[in-house]
Amino acid sequence: MKKHDLQHHSHATGVRSGTRQDGGVTRRTVLKAAAAAAGAGVAGWAPFVRAQSRTLTVTCWGGAYETAVRKAFAEPFAKEKGVGVTLVNSADLTRMKVQVQSKNVSWDVFDSIGPQIMAGSREGLWEDFDASRIDGKELVLPPGKDHVSTYFYAGGIGFDPKRFPEGKHPTTFKEFWDVARFPGRRGLRSRPNENLEMALLADGVSPDALYPLDIERAFKSLDRIKDDVRKWIETTPETVTLLATNELDFTYTYLSRVLPAQRGGQSVQMSMTQTLNSFEYLAVPKHGRNTELAMEYVAFCLRPDRQAAFCEMVEFAPNVTAALESLSAEARQRIPDMKDPNSIIIDDAWWGEHYEALQRRFTEWMLL
Amino acid sequence: MTHTLSPRTVVVLLLPLAALLALFFLWPLGLVGWSSIHDQGYTLRGYEQVLGSSLIRRVLVNTLQISVQATIFSLLLGYAIALHLASMSPARRAPYLVMVMLPFWTSILVKSYAFTVVLGDSGIVNQLLGWISGGTWHLEMMFNRIGVVVGMTNYLLPFMVLPIMASLLNQNRSLYLAAEIMGAGPLRIFLRITLPLSLPGVYAGILMSMTLSMGMYITPAVLGGRRDMMLANLIDFYTRQTLDWNLSSAIAILLLLMSGLLLWALGRIQRDGRAPA
Repeated sequence: MKKHDLQHHSHATGVRSGTRQDGGVTRRTVLKAAAAAAGAGVAGWAPFVRAQSRTLTVTCWGGAYETAVRKAFAEPFAKEKGVGVTLVNSADLTRMKVQVQSKNVSWDVFDSIGPQIMAGSREGLWEDFDASRIDGKELVLPPGKDHVSTYFYAGGIGFDPKRFPEGKHPTTFKEFWDVARFPGRRGLRSRPNENLEMALLADGVSPDALYPLDIERAFKSLDRIKDDVRKWIETTPETVTLLATNELDFTYTYLSRVLPAQRGGQSVQMSMTQTLNSFEYLAVPKHGRNTELAMEYVAFCLRPDRQAAFCEMVEFAPNVTAALESLSAEARQRIPDMKDPNSIIIDDAWWGEHYEALQRRFTEWMLL
Repeated sequence: MTHTLSPRTVVVLLLPLAALLALFFLWPLGLVGWSSIHDQGYTLRGYEQVLGSSLIRRVLVNTLQISVQATIFSLLLGYAIALHLASMSPARRAPYLVMVMLPFWTSILVKSYAFTVVLGDSGIVNQLLGWISGGTWHLEMMFNRIGVVVGMTNYLLPFMVLPIMASLLNQNRSLYLAAEIMGAGPLRIFLRITLPLSLPGVYAGILMSMTLSMGMYITPAVLGGRRDMMLANLIDFYTRQTLDWNLSSAIAILLLLMSGLLLWALGRIQRDGRAPA
C-alpha cells in the first residue's frame, strides 16, 4: 500500500510526461483489473475504480502541443481533482482498438483528429457521453454521441511572401485552381478530405451548400488541377518545409505549422481569406479503468477558461465560443472569424460515412 | 577436427532460437493469417477485394515494377563496387567498407529526406549542373519514379555489395593465374570465371533487394509522385486509417506469397545453375 501511495503522490505533484505507451500488462494492472471487475458487482463500478487508481492517462501529440495540453488541461485538472494525469505520446488508433478489443485499456482519454475518431466511433470503441455534462455551453461544433471537439485548426494556402508578394499568390481555392493567373508548383495532401472541399469551392460551389459533397463534380474539378500538383504531400511538416526548400510555390498547409515556422525565421505565410477548419476530438474508450474520471476530464477541457488558456499557447481556435472573450487580442487576431462564410467547417460526420470509399476512389484517381 | 553433436544437444541448442521465432515471428504471422480470413466470423471478403480491386492490382504492378527497377540499378552499381572492394587489400578496404555501411546504419526516413536536398529543383544536382553549364537547370528528379528508384537503390546497395563481395573474396586466386597463363584476357576471365563464381552472392543480393523493396514504404511516400504508391502504403492505410484489418491482412498475405514465390524461383534458378557442374 505504501508503494501505491508514493506513486500516486508523485503523479499528483507533477504530471508525468513521456512516451510510456501501452503501459504494459504488469502484474499489478492485471490484479487491479481483476479486483475492479470483482468489486464492480459489490461496490458499484465507478467509485471503486476511482479509489483504486487515481491516475488518468490521456493520449497526446508531443512537442509544443504536449506542453500546452499539460499546462492548460492536465496540470490544473490534476491539481483540482487530486489525481495524476499522464500524457502518452505516439498513440494511434490501431493500438487503441487492440486495447478495447482485449478489454485491457491503458489510455483513458483518446485525443485525435476527425477521421480517426469517426473510424473509432464506427467500430464502437467509444463510450457514450453523458450529454448533461457538456450541455449548456455554446460550441462551434456540437458534441457527437460518443465524442466531443475541443478545438479546431485552420488550413489554407501557404506561400513564401518574399517570392510571391501581395497579388502574386492565390488567396482562395478558386485562385489556387487558376494556374494561368497564378503560375507555380502546387502541393496538396494525398487524401480526399479537404481536397474535395477545395475542389468544389474552386468550382464555384457556395460554402454554405458544400455538404453533402457533390463527389462527381469534385473529382471533375480535381482533374483540372491534377497535372499542376507537383507533390501530393504525405506528411504534415512537408507542407511548410517544401516551401522553405523552394520545391513548391503554393501548398495547402495549416496555421499551426505556419506560425511556428515564421517564429523560426522562415519566410512563409498562410492566406486567411478562405480557410478549411478541422476539429480535434476527445473520446473515452470503452472498458476503461477510469471512465468516470475521464468524463470529468473531458468536461474540464471544455471549460471556457481552460479553452482560452490552451488556445493562448498554441495556434488553435477554441470550440467553446465563450472562450474567445478572454483571449488576448493577439490570439484573437489569428483565429478565423467563424461567422465569415469563407471559414468552412469540415464535416467529419459526413466523412465518417464516406471516408473509406472515397479514399479508395481518390487513390485510384491519383494512380491514373 | 569436426565435432559431432548428439541430436539431443542440437535440439537443446536450437530451442531458444526456435522459441524466439515461434513467439515473435510465427505467432504474429499466424494472427495476420487469421485476421485475413476472420472479421467477426469467417469471411473471404478480404481476399475477394484483393483479387477484385483494380486499385490493388495497379499498386501490385507498381510494387513489382519499382522493386525490379531498384534491384537492377543496385545490382549494376553494387557489383561494380563489390568488384572494386574485393580487389583491394584488407587494410585499404576497411574505410571503404565503412562508407558502404554508413547509409546502412542511417534511418531510412532521414535518408529519404536527405535526398530531397540532393534531387530537388534547387537541389545539389541541379545547382551543380547550373554551375557547370552556366544556366539554370530544373531536372525533375523528385516526386516521380526517378526519385523513388534513386532513394531505394541507395537503401539497397549494402544488401547487394556485401554478399557479392563475400563471394568474390571466396574465389580461388589460382584460377585467375591459371586462366592468365592459358592466355585469357581480363574480360574473358571476368565472364568465364569471376562472374559465374560470384552468382551465389548475386542471387542472395537480388533476393534481399527484391524482398526488402517489395515492403518499402517511406521512400515512395517521401520521394515518389502520385503514381508511385506501393503495397506497404496500402497496408498502412487500411491498418491505421480505416481499421480494416481483414483487408490489410489479406494484402499482407499477398505480399508474403509474392516474396515466397520469389524465394522459390531464385532457389530453382540457383539449383539449375549448379546442376551441370
